[in-house]
Amino acid sequence: MLVVVTGISHKTASLDLRERLVLSEEDALRVAQELLESEAACEAVSLSTCNRTELYTYASDSLAARQAAIAVLARHSGADVHELESSLYSYSGDGAIAHLFRVTSSLDSMVVGEAQIVAQMKSAYQLACEGGCTSVVFNRLFRHALEVGKRVRTETAIGERPVSVSSAAVELALQVFGKLNDHTVLIVGAGETSELTATHLKAHGIKNILVTNRTFGAAEELAQRVGGKAVVFEELEDHLAASDIVISSTSAPHYVITRERVERSLKHRRHRPIFFIDIAVPRDLDPEINRVRNAYLYDIDDLQHVVEQNRGEREKEAHHAERIVEEELRSVNDWLRSLEVVPTIATLRDTMEQIRRAELERLGGKLADLTDEQRAQVDMLTASIVNKILHMPTVKMKEVAGSQECYLYVDAVRTLFDLSGNGSSPDGAATGDAATDAVGAAPDPPGATVHHTGTDSA
Amino acid sequence: MEHASVIFLWIAYLLYAGAFAVFVVQFLTKSPTLTRVGLVVAAAGLVFHTLAIICRGFSAGHVPFVGAYESLVMVAWSIALVWHVLESFTKMRAVGLYVLPVVLILLTVAWVEYKPPVQLVPALRSDIVILHVIVMLTAIGCLYVAGGAGIIYLIEEALLRRRKAGGVLGRLPSLGALEKLIYHATLLGLPFLTAGMLAGIIRAETFNVPHWWVDPMVLLSLFAWALYAVLLWGRMRADWVGSRIAWLAITGLVVLLFIRFAAVPYLSGFHTYGG
Repeated sequence: MLVVVTGISHKTASLDLRERLVLSEEDALRVAQELLESEAACEAVSLSTCNRTELYTYASDSLAARQAAIAVLARHSGADVHELESSLYSYSGDGAIAHLFRVTSSLDSMVVGEAQIVAQMKSAYQLACEGGCTSVVFNRLFRHALEVGKRVRTETAIGERPVSVSSAAVELALQVFGKLNDHTVLIVGAGETSELTATHLKAHGIKNILVTNRTFGAAEELAQRVGGKAVVFEELEDHLAASDIVISSTSAPHYVITRERVERSLKHRRHRPIFFIDIAVPRDLDPEINRVRNAYLYDIDDLQHVVEQNRGEREKEAHHAERIVEEELRSVNDWLRSLEVVPTIATLRDTMEQIRRAELERLGGKLADLTDEQRAQVDMLTASIVNKILHMPTVKMKEVAGSQECYLYVDAVRTLFDLSGNGSSPDGAATGDAATDAVGAAPDPPGATVHHTGTDSA
Repeated sequence: MEHASVIFLWIAYLLYAGAFAVFVVQFLTKSPTLTRVGLVVAAAGLVFHTLAIICRGFSAGHVPFVGAYESLVMVAWSIALVWHVLESFTKMRAVGLYVLPVVLILLTVAWVEYKPPVQLVPALRSDIVILHVIVMLTAIGCLYVAGGAGIIYLIEEALLRRRKAGGVLGRLPSLGALEKLIYHATLLGLPFLTAGMLAGIIRAETFNVPHWWVDPMVLLSLFAWALYAVLLWGRMRADWVGSRIAWLAITGLVVLLFIRFAAVPYLSGFHTYGG
């Protein structure tokens, strides 16, 4: 049994194909259910975002699972199977799990480090879980993947630095002013980026937004959208004195704000700093402004430069993240291996044998009167009882060993007999984990996580 | 007692060094938990530092401010203390990275100059002298912190202007926060400096110290006092924002360092036993 992922992403498929393969929530669930019905897989989760559509399956035959996935995708998108084949990727086993972890950690994203993917993955899993398409393996695997995503986020700085012009501008403003609560931003010219920047600033606590434009109507319109106040363009200089952050994006062919103007304004505002952001081409703000004390000027090139630097930093962080993924892959693998039949039978037998010996030892005092021969007989008797009891489960488990559902039996056996300290896994910590989770399925311990239930989500 | 003091100071030194290492890692990884860890470790260092001073006080039989070793340990202690107080008010997490090296350097110099405790010379056996010293040390702690913040301010401003802020963005405190720190540290330090100088003058007058007003250290202290007064005056009038304040704080720091490391050992007439 192994995990198989089949899908397309921004790295392999054209936007056109990606668009056709976007699945609504209903479709996503139906795709997963169809995969289960085709009997090529015993668990399935389908993930669909604007940059990727992927089907995760737990199957015994990776090739059959892949074919089934392609068929289902072709059916839902109306795309040709051959067309799909050419822009498709498919991994199985370790490769698939590593891929899942990399996707959740946003290492495979178009913008490395973006935060949305964790939520998208979570809802894809929840949907499949509630639709009854997941079971022991995926319930655990996807929760683990979400944890990996979280871990990468907290342990690396992969999502720290902004990689868009508007958020870089906000980051710089924060570096100058600290908190932005009491500050005022002035937007000169009603461009799209300035609107975006204003929205970002608002998210960081800025309350006073002034908007000005040569045509007052456009200013009013933008002011309404960003929750600011429109002011007359002719009074620019007065408003300049009242503003801490100035974002300019007019289409004027000449400088709208000159150095002299800034110097006058600064005098009016008693030299409290002003941060100028010029996102217009050709530039609106005199580059000389940056030489004025307490005035800081960043133009579009400077901002792009910051963005580039931040991108580089994210790449660096991605290396740390890859290491985390590798580490987590190992721990999940240990657990998956424990779901195999043979080691489970061995562990079960070991456990029983241990119990038998312990009981015999406990009785040691009472058995002291027996002759050696009698003691040997007691030993044989108990051993044969244990063997007899274990005979049927062993035979049955070996019978189901080849079937798709065998891991469910294994999980049940491990849960019922609490087979935690098994020898099949070299990693003690990982097995300990597996044990706690396996115990969770038992009705006994209060507060434990219960698998197999639809409402139970990470 | 003296043994205990030395051991405590070593523990404090190691804790400060550990806290500094934590802050360095924090700077590189930006983990918020590490900042808290660093602050707690540094606070533990401060506790042992305090114990070391108390023990030294008992073993010497007086407040330990005599000689280079004692006074440097005291200055380092007051910087660490002021930093912790300001930190808890301003919640400006990143300053530890810059304060701790100063504390560590001062303590290292103190180790080099270590001398066993000595009896107070009769001239120093006076309550007003002890008051003078303690108040002055507090003032120095505050003003060192202000100067340090000024240095970071100027570096950061230069980086921002030259578009080289990439590596420090979001890691250094903002310019606004640094400026506030300079202001608050000076606001706290100047009254102590004033009180300390007054105590010194009272003591000099009552004991008829000859020509105390022409002592280079006194003159330099007056100059420093004027600098800080100008800083506060300029900032309160709100016209002097940012770099000018930072420059004043740094100049003040230079004067204070000059007093400590040049004027006291080589020039001063009657402050020499301050070490």
